Amino acid sequence: MIDTKTKYMNPYLAGVLLGLVLLAAFYLTGRGLGASGAMKSAVVATVDVVDANYATTNSFFGKFLGGPNSPMKSWLVFEVLGVLVGGFISGAFAGRLKFKIEKSPNITNRRRIILALIGGALFGFGSQLGRGCTSGAALSGMAVLSVAGYVTMVCIFGTAFALAYFFRKNWI
Amino acid sequence: MAPIIPLNGYTEELNLLAAFLIGIGFGFVLEQAGFSSSRKLAGMFYGYDITVLKVFFTAAITAMVGLIFLNYLGLIDMSIVYINQYYIKSAIVGGVIMGAGFIIGGFCPGTSVCAAAIGKIDAMIFIGGSLIGIFIFGLTYDWLEPLYNDAFVGAPKLSEELGIKDGLLAFAVIFMAVMMFWLGEKAEKMFKRDDISKEI
Amino acid sequence: MKKVNNYTPRLIASLVMVLMGFVAAVLPPTKNSSTELNAEQLLRELKLESHAVSVDELAQLLIDKDPSILLIDLRSKTEYDTFHLPGAINIPFDSLFTENWVPYVDQGMRNNVFYSNGTTLSTEAWMLTRQRGFKNNYYLRGGLNEWFTDIILPVPPEATESKAAFDLYQKRVGAKMFFTGNTAISAPAQSESEIKLPVPQKKKQRVEGGCS
Repeated sequence: MIDTKTKYMNPYLAGVLLGLVLLAAFYLTGRGLGASGAMKSAVVATVDVVDANYATTNSFFGKFLGGPNSPMKSWLVFEVLGVLVGGFISGAFAGRLKFKIEKSPNITNRRRIILALIGGALFGFGSQLGRGCTSGAALSGMAVLSVAGYVTMVCIFGTAFALAYFFRKNWI
Repeated sequence: MAPIIPLNGYTEELNLLAAFLIGIGFGFVLEQAGFSSSRKLAGMFYGYDITVLKVFFTAAITAMVGLIFLNYLGLIDMSIVYINQYYIKSAIVGGVIMGAGFIIGGFCPGTSVCAAAIGKIDAMIFIGGSLIGIFIFGLTYDWLEPLYNDAFVGAPKLSEELGIKDGLLAFAVIFMAVMMFWLGEKAEKMFKRDDISKEI
Repeated sequence: MKKVNNYTPRLIASLVMVLMGFVAAVLPPTKNSSTELNAEQLLRELKLESHAVSVDELAQLLIDKDPSILLIDLRSKTEYDTFHLPGAINIPFDSLFTENWVPYVDQGMRNNVFYSNGTTLSTEAWMLTRQRGFKNNYYLRGGLNEWFTDIILPVPPEATESKAAFDLYQKRVGAKMFFTGNTAISAPAQSESEIKLPVPQKKKQRVEGGCS
């Protein structure tokens, strides 16, 4: 394979930069980063379009509707749009823009897709129950020293480590 | 005095613009760090690539120490900064479910968006899965609500719970992180997988 | 040389972090900025309505049954007994700072929402608690009067008004049914103080965050 890719940034340097981005978020807007919240807004908005009546009566979706603004006009939605743009810019500079399914050579595309779908569903579900994902609850929560942040972080990484053995065939 | 936007009552539009710009920085750094690759992320759990550990903890520590210094210098009003609400049970159960999703799907929501931005199809599917998961949560919310709202204890800070200063806790976290970096880099040698590392 | 390159980033990063952590650990504790609120800041917050909760927000909070808010009725016991909002406890204004009640208003766990008939009494209570540096207190803008005009007896918007006005009206009708027993949503499970946290959209109140 001809390798035109640029290498990734040194992880410690990337960590410092990510920390500064997070700090900037706190300094400017008083809140940390996030991701799953934007996906929730997308779901709520979609449900509202498909069946507005159901959306407002559902006790979860209804919470985010009825305000003066659409659920899509939220901080996290705009932030995640930024993530798309930022990721794209970085990928373009590094020559990593390419449609592909990334997987271990030991498994089929189909299997990777199914795993991604199941993993995504679990993560989406868990992020709502846990009130935030790796970025919103764990990373941002740890920065403000919140107990919730540390608990969520330990639970996410602890479970992933504990289950790693059972899913090893998919990765190594 | 910060946080600048909420404290000065600037418009929501400016807040959203800030969100967008912050997001660009977030996405850029994630991609640069290699978080757009699920096999790099998963490397954390098999020891062959602990980039996640390094980036995640360095970032959390940078922001943590930054906030402590800003607070010390009186540059930020920490009474306005969001501190995560802690509902003991849902945080734990949610975290466990997310951990399972992580090892199965290979992404978390933030990294999946970043990976989708550079064309990773598995990441796009992961996002699709997340949307479905959130939808299912909404459908089953009435049933889950007792768990979701149970054992609420406010928004406690770990330093307050332990009865120590923020700075001391930060120092302890840094100490642990430094140890983990050291062990992690040993693991990277021990579980080295050149075949995977050259592909990601 | 390759070997050195592999080690140095970690060593540099570790060294810098430990150093920063050490400095952070030996810094003397900071003053709590919220206890040093001066009159000017207080007025600014009041003007920004940073700690105000609207009746619509409150209705939603009650419907959602979030456990983290506590409604505090500042009126007299007689008035409270005649009518009070679901789940509210009664702390007459003049006994707000007595020994019995201070633990309710000076605490770090729940978000209190003060209300009275109008806004005067509740704003005053909020200012007094804010000046003392108590956290997590809010007040109901418009008080019970607005609660009745907007939630219990909402007026339908004119046909020419915006969609938002209609949506708001729909929402209010739903809330009305919820509170007047004509339950359309689900039975209110208001055990004493099991209510809901204000979803802050306002200026100087803790920023809404997280990513749930």
